Amino acid sequence: MKPFDFIQPQTTDAALAALAEHSPNVRILNGGTDYVVELKHVAQSPGVVVDISRLQDLKGIEITDAGLRIGAGVTHSEIMADPLIAEHAPAMIDAAHTVGAVQTRNLGTLGGNLVTCVPSMDSGPTLLALDAQVTILGPKGSRQIPLSEFFVFVRKTALEPDELLLEIIIPKENLGKPAGFIKFGLRKGQALALVNAASAFRIEDGKFKDVRIALGAVAPVVIRAAKAEAILEGQAVSEDLINEAAKIAVTEASPIDDFRASKEYRNDLIEVGARRTMQAALAAANA
Amino acid sequence: MTDITLTVNGEEKTASVPPETTLLKMLREDLNYTGAKLGCDVGDCGACTVLVDGIAVNACLMLAGQAEGKNIETIEGLSTLEEYHPIQKAFEDVASLQCGFCGPGMIMSTKALIDQGEELTRDDIKDALSGNLCRCTGYTKIIEGVIDAYEEITGKKVPETNPRAA
Repeated sequence: MKPFDFIQPQTTDAALAALAEHSPNVRILNGGTDYVVELKHVAQSPGVVVDISRLQDLKGIEITDAGLRIGAGVTHSEIMADPLIAEHAPAMIDAAHTVGAVQTRNLGTLGGNLVTCVPSMDSGPTLLALDAQVTILGPKGSRQIPLSEFFVFVRKTALEPDELLLEIIIPKENLGKPAGFIKFGLRKGQALALVNAASAFRIEDGKFKDVRIALGAVAPVVIRAAKAEAILEGQAVSEDLINEAAKIAVTEASPIDDFRASKEYRNDLIEVGARRTMQAALAAANA
Repeated sequence: MTDITLTVNGEEKTASVPPETTLLKMLREDLNYTGAKLGCDVGDCGACTVLVDGIAVNACLMLAGQAEGKNIETIEGLSTLEEYHPIQKAFEDVASLQCGFCGPGMIMSTKALIDQGEELTRDDIKDALSGNLCRCTGYTKIIEGVIDAYEEITGKKVPETNPRAA
């Protein structure tokens, strides 16, 4: 690793002050499962590394007036063990369980997974399907934006160099919303997603309502399959419609060809993944 | 330089290292705990697994500065020269290890798993060890060793399943 200065603030105010002072030659570190690997390979020093792992404001999972609030510094292992998440957003547990292996899940954080903004992130699809919001802190105070606007491009988010991701909020109306998540990798453990997907909807009067279908690893950022969602929205519940929507979802993605899988294979996975997560959401709705 | 004070296997230790030092490098080169191994150096192989405040982490992915004030457990803390830890004894009894390079990581992951105090199935064990690679590919005997250690330590039984079916 190239030499850098290391700062470990104990409070969020101190962290923001450090970011403001050293911006733009500053990077944030938390679990390190991605960034420490990057540090080992970059040719240029980041200047200053601010370790936010001690910030209590980034910890905790709780129900607030806004909904289910998950601190950006909560680890994937903490998500898997949390009773509030099990009750209100169980698909998040399935997603957290597919991240890396135990050691990675013990260090890696939900916020880190989102901020890293790789297309194959495992936290993105479920959170998009549940209309998650994120709160960002910066020198001008805090701002809240939809997660869909947070993702900008591969490894690029709406965060400015002097800003910090504070928390992820699943809106109150979506707590307990039926949802399903799936990930396809080359093996069960330590695998990057070839494709991952999440679907969520309610069933009201026998009809699909508030349909969300999100796909990962198939475009520069995690995307919603809006045309596929529209196939279901407001229609009477049917397996045939789910199958049709899954086929349409493929047309909305632009997966790459690489050494892990061909574009053709990923397209097949998109259809299967979209279908199975819609079926899982339907099963959850009927449970 | 960053001054670091932490506890390793119950003893307070201090070191002064450059900020770009990983916990693994500090343990091995500054504090002489060479049990944890440097394998892939990117968090895939688990050879560097140590426990930090009781949870298994890849020491190659944590900066030394992040371990300030933490309680670290390494393979050196498990046994004395006279007596093996029950996990080590179980691994020896069923010959879980061939070259042994993955052993410290495998055993520390096993310790974290058993310390959680939950009822385990064979699938739980495979899941808990999925971040530890053995390139002698002796996974069958490693899992047998974990099962024996768990049963010895807790007095509980791992439900019988056909390992080929799982």
